[in-house]
Amino acid sequence: MAVPIEEPNDETLVARAASGDDSAFEAIVERYQARVFRLACRLTSETDAPDVLQETFLKVYRHLASFRGESQFKTWLYRVASNTALMHRRASTRRPAEPLDVFLPRFDEKGRHAATPAELQVAARADELLDRQFLAQKARDVVTQLPDIYRDAFVLRDLEDLSTDDVAQARGITPATVRQRVHRARLMLRGYLSGLVGVKP
Amino acid sequence: MSDIVCSSGVELLMDYLDGVLPPQLRAALDEHVAGCQRCTAFVESYRATPRILRDATAAALPPDLEVSLKAFLRARTNAFRSR
Repeated sequence: MAVPIEEPNDETLVARAASGDDSAFEAIVERYQARVFRLACRLTSETDAPDVLQETFLKVYRHLASFRGESQFKTWLYRVASNTALMHRRASTRRPAEPLDVFLPRFDEKGRHAATPAELQVAARADELLDRQFLAQKARDVVTQLPDIYRDAFVLRDLEDLSTDDVAQARGITPATVRQRVHRARLMLRGYLSGLVGVKP
Repeated sequence: MSDIVCSSGVELLMDYLDGVLPPQLRAALDEHVAGCQRCTAFVESYRATPRILRDATAAALPPDLEVSLKAFLRARTNAFRSR
């Protein structure tokens, strides 16, 4: 029976890589390449993501010595990757985004939800009610349409599952700002999912 | 009796779910949502939104890109030279 070999943690690998052990750097790349690619797709596009992926790991390699371990390696990597992605996004021409404000929830004059409970709940079942490929295409499109500041916070916090504090650290903003931006993105996207199912926000 | 209505409750959801809402407001929001079918439904869909979009936007790394990444890094660093 094979004895499972314990994988070295990130910080051990980073320390080894920083001291010139290239096999440790290779292990870091193999551990994180899929996640960095996924993040790059979400922050840029599938066209730009390969370049973002390459540049991110090249920067990581070159700056390993400057990683001081004040934050987790993963947070640092996400900061490098998201900065790289944002530079690409600025460089490439972007089509004008359609405003997503129309998907924000609506209230009556007393501040009550305008929609019925059934209408309000339907977004929670968008993945059951819609064709998988259709939803995937629409989801990619709508994330692209989010205003940049909401997109960055939402992608890191909700799609990459970083903690609010880690997103704040990665993007250089306060946790309260992260929450405010993620909230706004969630509201618009929730309404958008409702709309896909054919229900007003 | 809380002063929370649906529209003001919605604005507290992120802080509520992130665990940073002050206890008094938290209790007031709990009370409102428990008695409001619309907010109960809204909260369910608000919570589901990140999960649905996470699943729907999870791009897989193409195998040929993995190969070209290694080649790129091999050309510019000392890594991946033994392969």
